[in-house]
Amino acid sequence: MPLINMPEFSGRLLDEFAARGTARIDTPVIQPAAPFLDMAGEDLRRRIFLTESETGESLCLRPEFTIPVCLRHIESATGTPRRYGYLGEVFRQRREGDNEFYQAGIEDLGETNIASADARAVNDAVQILESLIPGRKLDITLGDQAVFEAVVKALGLPGGWQKRLIQSFGNNAHLAQLLMTLASPQTPSGLSPQLSELLAKDDAALIAHIDQTMQDTGYSTNASRSPREIAARLKEKQSLTQTRLDGSALALLTEFLSLEIPLSQAPAALAGFADAAGLALGAALVTFEARTAAMADLGVDLDKVTYRAAFGRPLDYYTGLVFEVSRDNAVLAGGGRFDRLMTLLGANEDIPAVGFSLWLDRIEQARAR
Amino acid sequence: MSIITIALPSKGRMKEDASAIFERAGLPIVAVGNERSYRGRIEGHDDIEIAFLSASEIAREIGAGTVDFGVTGEDLIREGLIDADAKMEIAARLGFGHADVVVAVPEIWLDVDTMADLGDVAADFRARHGRRLQIATKYWRLTQQHFSSQHGIQLYRIVESLGATEGAPAAGQADIIVDITSTGSTLKANHLKILSDGVILKSQACLVRARKSEHENDPRVKRIVEAVRSVF
Repeated sequence: MPLINMPEFSGRLLDEFAARGTARIDTPVIQPAAPFLDMAGEDLRRRIFLTESETGESLCLRPEFTIPVCLRHIESATGTPRRYGYLGEVFRQRREGDNEFYQAGIEDLGETNIASADARAVNDAVQILESLIPGRKLDITLGDQAVFEAVVKALGLPGGWQKRLIQSFGNNAHLAQLLMTLASPQTPSGLSPQLSELLAKDDAALIAHIDQTMQDTGYSTNASRSPREIAARLKEKQSLTQTRLDGSALALLTEFLSLEIPLSQAPAALAGFADAAGLALGAALVTFEARTAAMADLGVDLDKVTYRAAFGRPLDYYTGLVFEVSRDNAVLAGGGRFDRLMTLLGANEDIPAVGFSLWLDRIEQARAR
Repeated sequence: MSIITIALPSKGRMKEDASAIFERAGLPIVAVGNERSYRGRIEGHDDIEIAFLSASEIAREIGAGTVDFGVTGEDLIREGLIDADAKMEIAARLGFGHADVVVAVPEIWLDVDTMADLGDVAADFRARHGRRLQIATKYWRLTQQHFSSQHGIQLYRIVESLGATEGAPAAGQADIIVDITSTGSTLKANHLKILSDGVILKSQACLVRARKSEHENDPRVKRIVEAVRSVF
């Protein structure tokens, strides 16, 4: 495909990918829109180029590669582990920069050694960028969704609150708002006397009441949420409103979220934090340490990587590592672990996955400077 | 001298109410040609032209700057224009066409009273039902702003609904709705309730001015605004 607007280092990139044992993959430019909107949320709608097929199916121009690559992998039913390398155009409505630009990257699907696959993804991204932009300082930031989840779980909050906090990881404004709610006492919303009475009784009575009301109002035929689900959450909600995080737990969570240190110090700092706080972070900490060691083995300079505890992406398929490489505040590479994505997209079995993508237009600018 | 164009709703209550306001403001509107014509002017002001347009097109024309003023609902302006405040100024709120854009859920969702509750339900929805929470609405932009920017809720899908939106949950087309309501009686009749923090916008008909640089030193622009404001 002799596209003349391809970045001049494209050939070099493809050689890099091949040398790293990846199989080249290409995907159609026109994609069904639903998977992107389902995974990334409705906010994406404004930023993609949507169209409709004659039959009314929503289609879009490929806004990124991860989902198409994963879908293609599922379709072609090739076994795992498999590492794919891609390079091609993506299309997004952007405030700054062109609406069509090139991305390239590697998706590593099915490697069960999480720590070493993570380390390899970071190392690949950093090494490739260092060879494309030699001698310039790159800012590497690393976060870990699993460590945050472990801290939240260890604090012993009710399940509903854990979910709220985990859901908002990476969205710092929303997280701060949740912490404020947790710190202050709340008055439970007013329930009708009839409902309070039902709540006090056994679940069966409450469920029967909801079921009866649904039938009376003609809502039950198409009801998405069942009487049982509504009753269960109503009970959970009563306990959530009454939950308050005591001062010391809140201070711990805030202290954790403010951690920003060189990765070389992070395993010890996290272990120290867990000990001092009396929190058992278990497997999350073990993986974090193993990944850090694996990165060091591959030759990544851990002093040049910043671990930021609050760094994450508020999307529910990210499960562990997240990282970004930038220069002069422009993100040149972003990646992470998304172990939940493959099954969400229709894979029959759990497939661990980690990957990264490179923003070739920004790399081109950084090279020119 | 250039012509000032005012876009007014082309039919129904909105047209009558808007014309009445201009009449009371001392700017009586007369149709050009016959009664059914979509052009008009203001008596005694040959340099002001009236264009009768559909209410949603008025928002678009204001955004494009092809008309100077328009009378339309704030909901249509905010839904129709990106960066609405940079493109237009609300010169006067006209006291008719009241309608709130609200988030409404099935009454029987006894556990959902607030956007935070809805956030919890949305977060779990796919795990429980194999799909995202679906919202029926014609207000894509307002819904996104309210859910994502203000309440950090990302995990939902919008199902476009061009009418009878209140029926969508019972018909199984969507789980909840974002729609306009004036008295709330249609919501009630369809067993829906408004969330306590679910009022996205309290809308009414407005006199809207397109932000154009040539307005700055135009005394006619100031006069029109003052005349309409003097009614209230």
